[in-house]
Amino acid sequence: MKVSLNWLKEYVPNIKKNDIFTEELTSLGLEVSSIVKVKKDTIIDIDMTPNRADCLSVMGIARDISPIYKKKITLPKYIKFIKSKENIFSNIDKNIAPSYSALVIKNIDNSVVTPLFIKQRLEACGLKKINFIVDVLNYVMLENGQPMHAFDNEKFTGNINVRYAKKNEKLNALDGQSYTLRADTPIISDDKKPQAIAGVIGSADSSVSINTKSVIIESAYFTPNIIRKSSKFFRLQTDASYRFERGVDPLLNEYSLGRVLAILKEYANIGDYFFNHSSTSKIAKHINKSIVINPGLFESSLGVKISDNFIVQTLKYLGFNPEKKKMGLKITVPSHRFDIAIPEDLVEEVARVYGYNNFTPILTSNSLNTIGNILNKTDYYSDSLVARGYNEVISFSFIPRGDQESHVSKSKIISIMNPISEDKAELRGSMINSILNTCSYNFSRKNLNLKIFESGKTYIKHSDKKIIEENILAGAISGVNSEANLKNDQSELSVFDLKGDLLSMLPNLSFEAHAGVNYLGKSCQAVIKQNNKIVGYCGEPGKSLYTQYSIKNTIFYFELMIDKIIGIEDVKYKKISIFPKIKRDLTILVDDNILSNDIIDAVERKSFNYMINIKISDIFYNKAELGMGKKSMTIEFMFQDKLSTLTDKQINDEMEKIIGLLKSKHEAIIRI
Amino acid sequence: MPKNYTSLISELRGKLKECSSPHDIANIKAYYLGKTGIITNEFAKLKDVNLEERKELGKSLNILKNQAQKLISLKLDNIQKTKENNRFVDVTLPGKNISMGSRHPISITINKITSILSNYGFASVSGIEIEDEFHNFEALNIPETHPARDMHDTFYVSDNKLLRTHTSSVQIRSMLSNKAPLKIMTPGKVYRCDSDPTHSPMFHQIEGLYIDKDVNFCHLKGVLINFIKEFFGKDMEIRFRPSYFPFTEPSAELDIKFKGKWLEVLGCGMVHPNVLSNVKINTKQYSGFAFGLGVERLAMLKYDIVDLRMFYENDISFLSQFRGLK
Repeated sequence: MKVSLNWLKEYVPNIKKNDIFTEELTSLGLEVSSIVKVKKDTIIDIDMTPNRADCLSVMGIARDISPIYKKKITLPKYIKFIKSKENIFSNIDKNIAPSYSALVIKNIDNSVVTPLFIKQRLEACGLKKINFIVDVLNYVMLENGQPMHAFDNEKFTGNINVRYAKKNEKLNALDGQSYTLRADTPIISDDKKPQAIAGVIGSADSSVSINTKSVIIESAYFTPNIIRKSSKFFRLQTDASYRFERGVDPLLNEYSLGRVLAILKEYANIGDYFFNHSSTSKIAKHINKSIVINPGLFESSLGVKISDNFIVQTLKYLGFNPEKKKMGLKITVPSHRFDIAIPEDLVEEVARVYGYNNFTPILTSNSLNTIGNILNKTDYYSDSLVARGYNEVISFSFIPRGDQESHVSKSKIISIMNPISEDKAELRGSMINSILNTCSYNFSRKNLNLKIFESGKTYIKHSDKKIIEENILAGAISGVNSEANLKNDQSELSVFDLKGDLLSMLPNLSFEAHAGVNYLGKSCQAVIKQNNKIVGYCGEPGKSLYTQYSIKNTIFYFELMIDKIIGIEDVKYKKISIFPKIKRDLTILVDDNILSNDIIDAVERKSFNYMINIKISDIFYNKAELGMGKKSMTIEFMFQDKLSTLTDKQINDEMEKIIGLLKSKHEAIIRI
Repeated sequence: MPKNYTSLISELRGKLKECSSPHDIANIKAYYLGKTGIITNEFAKLKDVNLEERKELGKSLNILKNQAQKLISLKLDNIQKTKENNRFVDVTLPGKNISMGSRHPISITINKITSILSNYGFASVSGIEIEDEFHNFEALNIPETHPARDMHDTFYVSDNKLLRTHTSSVQIRSMLSNKAPLKIMTPGKVYRCDSDPTHSPMFHQIEGLYIDKDVNFCHLKGVLINFIKEFFGKDMEIRFRPSYFPFTEPSAELDIKFKGKWLEVLGCGMVHPNVLSNVKINTKQYSGFAFGLGVERLAMLKYDIVDLRMFYENDISFLSQFRGLK
């Protein structure tokens, strides 16, 4: 909202220098976004919060700074009306317009040139000059905040009606558009047709021109919610609707017409006129509302003792009427303050004049520990992956429409009803889209060696109402392990690098072949389990996804369902054996389709004496030497006893049993 | 063994002691054992000696020759070994490096903020992102007709389900499920229908909420002023100015002076009594304050990032710059 400094000075003459005044306005909550010198004037642009409709005028701002400058605001000159026998009201819907006034001037010369000071001030505040009457109406609106509208009386058939439109009534509006009205559109009509969308925009048919000889000027209080709804529906925000939907002082409309008449009379010849007014007994909730406040609330809420005198004076300047009563301060709310409803609102009024910066800060560091800290788990995984060389990424939760259709079933996809664009139209149902998108972007930027992870949510619709948000840790690797190294020290990243990285942070994960995941390729995919429960998947993306994201480089992908994973919990110390560990190797020949997990599982399940560890230490394929479909595997066993040094015989006995098992279970042939 | 032989050995030992290169040793070897070497010559002299003596002398001469050969090869080995031990290593060659990765600057900023706030006693809580109108708006004193809804351009996924526009919804859920007193912070993603160089349709927020007996505006200021100082690591010029949020009363905005300009960094205020009543907290007994800040905004100020879009492009060259921060 733009305001002229010269104009403001008519109400508050002793305003301080620009930079100090800017600070003063801002500290009152009227944040100055810019201050510009224009000719002999200064234009201050204020970012008005939606609750301060009362400050959308010069007088409103003057009133708000009055407690600082100790200057009460006086009303500019106006003409008082007397009751008229003539009537132009037909049917006024008091829900739409709880208070409605009209001034009919039967004879006026509208070809008069708008006075220069009015023209200049309108322009300074960003309004165009139109014609004398309209300019004066706009001027008074900028002065006191009351929007008004003028109809050419000669183009207005019969009386004024404030009503809801009939379905499909039309209005050719001042903006050159034709609007089809609905049954819930509040309008002003003459006896024939709509002449305005109430409080929003007037009709071009009855608009005032320089040839207008007789005029009806409307000044009303419209119910804010009703105006807001229709303004939103037609996507029309005008200077009038902006003020009406926030709340124009309901007791201001009669005075404003008197003010308009005083100015019109000063600059033009005016013939007969008459004034009509309609209002309900209960115009708005806040009229004559009084709030009783316990004076102690100021101190308990603000933490500082503010003198009663300061409180009372401040509220008086702002238009409140404070009275000291036995039960506390009884404060009557002025008609221009829609936003004051509870004692705390008054606390803010006093606090902002006192100055937020004048309260002494007190730091409280008490911990209540009522709720646990549930974010630490993800943090541990993230830090582990960073230590293994991964960069954390954050992607939009939105993905382009259709991008996940190959792997998320249509009924589970959540679409945005009002997306910002088609490439942000669906919520991701799987992390693989986000991860591949990031890979693809980096490949296009020639970042070919990648290790990335993201910790975020996926969003899935289960049944009609049920939406599942799942916390996922996902990532991918591609390229070589470290491009900074000598060629000899570099190696292509494989799914085993990925597996190693995951095991380094969660040693009790197990990987099983054939996950059956539709977005991973068939030749390389694993299901990741912890304590026999599925907690994730990894492998190489399917061919169609490679194509979808135009990726030519090989990628290995993983995802873990964070909420299903049990982190490393309390550790209990186990006694360490002081007797020597003894290592034995065994090399066997087996069928190629026997997985290393099969061998290890078979041995581990039997739990052989003294065996504390088993691992595959070498694998070797050679058609000529081993035969088709065979592989040689070296297994390393570690033995140790808690009570004594093991003898060769003890270990040999166990090895015999192990060999026997492998022979019978996997038809292993012992090579060494 | 004849005396001249033993002196030959000690002479050889002396010479070997002084030499340090394989080249010197080759010379010494030639001097003693070469075609015309001293020891070789001694063998030649044997034919001039009578048979009985010749037998005895030959034996000694062979021992002498073996001894000399042994000493020389021993010395040669020694030189070779010392040479290997001292071989020059080019330590400027690349290391076998698998460099650390990096946390995302948004995560780093969230960690920094939450670690400061947790020192003040705030416990971290997270919640769902797809919310209903009650938890996102109505419980927060924002009815449907309220102009404040204009401040929140909302993404809807169905008639009553929306993407939360702030993490205040988590505060509502926490207040409903945990009784006062309460001191929580709620980091997370939030969404608004807005996209330009300074607005992203998805961004991150952290909100703080403290409900207890006798909490007042000075306590709110104390937490925030100290927070800003700790976050930026130095005293910043700060101002509080009145503002408007439907869920706080009084409401304030905190600005910091950055490169000569006032910048809005967070909104705050005393929790509106309607909000407390909505979650069944007794307003006669309890009061509280709340604040909300945008993580991206603070990260941009802290790391001199000018383009908001960098955060979501995830270019490795951008991300790697934050290596080492946690």
